[in-house]
This record gives sequence, C-alpha cells and structure tokens, in this order.
Amino acid sequence: MTDILQSLPVYLVLIAALLNLVRRQWTLNLIALLVQFICLFPILWKVLPLQLALIHPFTGLMVTLILYLTLLGVGGVKPINLRDPLSSGEVFRALAGVFLIATLRAFLPQIQQAVFPLVSSDHLFVSLGLVLIGLLQLGTIREPFYLAIGILTFLSGFELLYSALEFSYLLEALLVAVNLLLAIVGAFFIVKNAESEAL
Amino acid sequence: MNNTVMIFIVLPVLLGLGLVLIQRVSKLSAVLGSLFPLILAMLAVIFANGLTLNVLGRFFILDDSLVIFGRTIQITADQLGIIALFYFLCFAWNLLSGLFKVGQWFNSLSLIITALWVSVQFINPFLYSAVIIELIALISVPLLSPRGTPAKSGVIRFLSMQTIAMPLILMSGWMVAGIETSPSAEELINRGALLVIAGFSLWAGIFPLHSWLPMLTEESHPWVISFLMTIMQIGLAIFFLKFLNQYPWLRNLEEIKPVLKWIGVLCVVSAGVIAAFQKKLSRIVGYLYLAGTGNIVLTMAFQQQGWLDLLTIYLLPRALSYWSLGYAFSLLREALGSEQLDFSELTGLIWRYPLISVLLLGSFLNIIGMPLFSLFPAHRIIWSILASENLPIRLLMSLGLLGMITLFLRLLARVIQPPEIADQDKKERTIMIVPVILIVLLMVLGGLLPQIYSTPVQNLLISFQNLLR
Repeated sequence: MTDILQSLPVYLVLIAALLNLVRRQWTLNLIALLVQFICLFPILWKVLPLQLALIHPFTGLMVTLILYLTLLGVGGVKPINLRDPLSSGEVFRALAGVFLIATLRAFLPQIQQAVFPLVSSDHLFVSLGLVLIGLLQLGTIREPFYLAIGILTFLSGFELLYSALEFSYLLEALLVAVNLLLAIVGAFFIVKNAESEAL
Repeated sequence: MNNTVMIFIVLPVLLGLGLVLIQRVSKLSAVLGSLFPLILAMLAVIFANGLTLNVLGRFFILDDSLVIFGRTIQITADQLGIIALFYFLCFAWNLLSGLFKVGQWFNSLSLIITALWVSVQFINPFLYSAVIIELIALISVPLLSPRGTPAKSGVIRFLSMQTIAMPLILMSGWMVAGIETSPSAEELINRGALLVIAGFSLWAGIFPLHSWLPMLTEESHPWVISFLMTIMQIGLAIFFLKFLNQYPWLRNLEEIKPVLKWIGVLCVVSAGVIAAFQKKLSRIVGYLYLAGTGNIVLTMAFQQQGWLDLLTIYLLPRALSYWSLGYAFSLLREALGSEQLDFSELTGLIWRYPLISVLLLGSFLNIIGMPLFSLFPAHRIIWSILASENLPIRLLMSLGLLGMITLFLRLLARVIQPPEIADQDKKERTIMIVPVILIVLLMVLGGLLPQIYSTPVQNLLISFQNLLR
C-alpha cells in the first residue's frame, strides 16, 4: 500500500502529461498542466530540501496562471466536455504516448544501470517519461499553446532528472527564468494568433 | 559599477530594458540603440590592455569578477576583445535599423540579446550558458515573429530545436564529471562528445537539422534575422572553442577533427546544392547561413594544427558579408514591397534599381568567397587545406561551391534580363550611391588588403590558451 502511495505522484504526472498530449481542450489542458507541476513536488522532495523542492511547483503555478489569464483574455476558456469523442489524431497520439511510456518502462533497468545508476527508478521513469512525452508533443503539433505545453513538459522532465544529479542555485534561477519566459512567449503567441484570426 | 561584469553584462541589460520604455519614440530609440553598444565596444577596446585607465591623473580600476548565487562570472582584460566584437556587431545593425520596418522591439532587444551572448562566453561553470542560450532564443521571439501575423512554423521549430539542445549540453558536463576516476573513461568520453556535438548541431542548425533556418529567414525581416543569426553563429563558434579549450578529453579526442571536417563539408555541400534550386531569395539567406556555419566549422577543424588564426581572420569578413547582404535584402524588400523576394520579382532589377542590384550582386560574390572580395583570403586558405584531403571531401566541397556559383549566375541572369517597357523607369534615390559605394569598397578592400580585417582582431581569441599551444 505504501509503495502504491509513493508511486502515485509518478503516475499522476505521467497521466496528466499524456492527457495534454492527447486532448485538445484548453481548460482541461491547463488543469492537467497544473496537476503535472504540483505532483512533481513529492518526487522532488525526495532528493531536495523542502524549500528547494517547492520552487518547481511554484513556478508551474505561475506559468499556468499566465497561460490561464491569456486564454481568458482571448475567450479561450470554455467548459470541459469529457464526452467529446476522440478524433483519429487523438487516438494516434494516445497510442504513441502509451507505447513510448511502455517501452521506457521495459528498458528502464538497462538505462538506469548503464547511464544513471545513482537515480532511483521511479525518479528516472517519471523524468524520462516527461522528456519523451514532451518531445512527442513538440513533434506532433503546430499550435503555439501546445508548443508551450510541450516545451514545459520536456523541461520539467529534464529539470527533474538533473535535480537528482546535481543542484545549483544559479542553474535553478536560470531555469525558473526560462519557464516563466516560456509562459510569456506562449501567451504572446496565443494573443498574436487570436489577433490575426480576428482580422 | 567598477566591475567588468557589471559594465558589459548587467548595464547593457538595464539599458536595453530602459529602451523598452521609449520604444515608441522610434528615432530616439534607434539613436540610443546605436550609441550604447558603440560606447560599450569602445570601452572594451580601451580596457583591453589592462583593467586600469588613467584619465587626467585619476585612475579607474575595474574588478574582473562578480559572484552570483555562489558562482563566478569573470571577464579579464584579454577577453575584452570578444566583447568589443559583440557590441560592435550590435552597433552595426542598430545603426541602420531606423531605415527599415524592423519592429519597435529591435533596438532594446538587440542590446539585451548581445549582453546575454556576452554572458554566455563568461559564465562559470560554462555549461550553464546553455540555459542562457535558451533564454536568448525566447527573447528573440518578438523580433522573429512580430505582432499582426500568426505564429509560423519556422519560429516554432527554432524554439523546439534550441530547447532540445540545452539539456544535451548540460548533461554532457555531468556525464564526464567523473572521467578521471572512471575505469571506462573512453565510453564516458564518447558519450560526452556525442552530447556536445548533438547539442551544437541543434543550436546552429547543422545539416540535416537545418530545416528551421530557411523557414525562419523566409518568415522574418532580413535585417532582424541577419543580426540574430550572425551574432548567434559567432557566439556559438566562440562558445564551442571554449569547450575545446576547457575539455582536454574533447580536444584530444582522435575523432573530433574528422567529425568536424565532415560536418563542415556536409553543411557547405548541402547549402550549395539546395540553394542552387531555390526560387525565393528569403529562403536562400538560410542556406547562406548554413554554408557559413560549415565554413566556420571547417576553420575550427584545424585548431589542433594551430589554425585558431584562421577562425580569427574569418569572423570579421563573415560578419561584414552578412551585414551587407542583410542591408541589400532589406533595401530590396522595401523597394519591391515584397516579403518573399521571389526570383520572378527580380526580372530587370538592374534597370529599375541599379544601386541595390550592384549591392546585391556584390554581397553574393562576397559571401560565396570569390576573388577580390573580403571573404576570399580566408576561403582560399580553407580550400588550399582541403586540397590535400581525400577525394570525396574535395568533390563535395567543389559541388557546394558550384551550387553557390550556379545560384549567383541564376540571380545575375534574372537581374540583368531586360524588363517590360513600362517597367524601365529608374526608381532609386541618387543619395543611395554613397552607402553602396562605401560598402562595396569595404568588401573589395578586404579582399585586396586582408590585414584591414585581420589586424584589429588578431588578439581576439588569445584567452583560449590551450588552443594556441
């Protein structure tokens, strides 16, 4: 039971990332992004002191807020409709995402042994999982909002992995700046697209 | 403020932020945007002989380091030449920015971006610079994708590539951290080298990861993109030298030289062949940058033979070639009122715009590296070194050059083709003759007297002590 509870954030993070990869409903995606960032906290807390582990979820909260306010401004926030049938593209992305995660799980012991022997398997699984889902997102979309989510997911995975390897205040500060700037760039793109559609 | 880091990194960022506040006053913003980098470049030149300055008996002494979050950023006197080059580039592009519709953000963001490229070269541990390069990519977005148009695929792909590159570089440092104590050092070295090469390939858009380059040049204003790509190309080249200088395992790796050589050759040949078949000048700029990256990589491929000098004499003429090409393309864009600059629009250009045509053709001859032009001396050395290489390399390089010459001949044929009768009126202002003659003269003088460009920068890379031995 304890094992399941300890692994719960890992699976929640990956499910949230998969949801962002598959579904194209802005409100749902924002909630999933927030869940993804918040659930990283217990995983980070295992390798970092509390104050430092809080930085990433707190940044995520601000990033989500920036994107939410932008979407609100352009009228993009709509009620979530879970009954919408999946399109063929969504089915493809879901299958590709699940396949990637399953392949990662299968090869995780070998990767851990060969490259990251000091990183716990749960930590490695969730960080590489986020990196792969982020990459898949970047490779399959053109919409700016999903580009921002894809890059944020990719960077979250990398930051998680790097936090288990070494920690530097300067690097952490720079990565926070990257995350916030990314949210601003995402917001800039969303506004631009809304403006050009309105013309 | 008596610190090199404060003067050359923090202050320009603050000045850039200040320019954001006055960006609506475009003329003032353009003047200050040119003045600030010029002053910074001059200060860098003045302090390059030592961090002390005697003005009327009063001594100004600068510290050379600053500690931020427990990490040190250090800029010593012998590194100020690099800073002078960066700010001089920023000045050169800001100087003419007022002539074109480059967007209100150009002056402020170009100064901030230059300051960040300077910080990339001096942050310690230098691997963290990878994150700053990501910040630069993000800050460039308002320049690359101005408001009023939807976000296009070039800028999206550019951002994706820059983001993917960052972790590769950061991981390379961690990967080789325990190299001295590891029983299987060779494996770690290979992994580390692979990560470094892959990271730089994504950053610089090395063939076959270059697809974002022509897309981006097609979508953006030529003046903006020429600035961003020039400073990025030179910034990345110097940053890669830092890797070679700091990491003996990378510098002494047997495979590094042939790998760099092949990367350079593949970039040159792919750029030449693809550019020869292009129909839009705006896309061709991207391929010219790809060829430029290839040539810079080739100059570095010989660093183990003391060829750092070659890169040094190459940088300034290369920057001039991009500057003149960016100027010619921007003039053409404004004159024709076209963003894409399709070949069909250039028919009979020399009859309508003789000065722009001369500048365009001269810039092309210069960037290809033809005799009499400023890039020729450096290209001649590269070609003569490659003449002793194996047959496939010689053939591929010849093919790349042939592609570029074909492109020039296509352009020439189109430009001198007699136009329709109604189109024969000259539409150019006579005042243009002065800058055009000056720029062509600068290009030709560099070919006749190469020391004009090599002497000011001869000590540019002196801080890379391990590469000079």
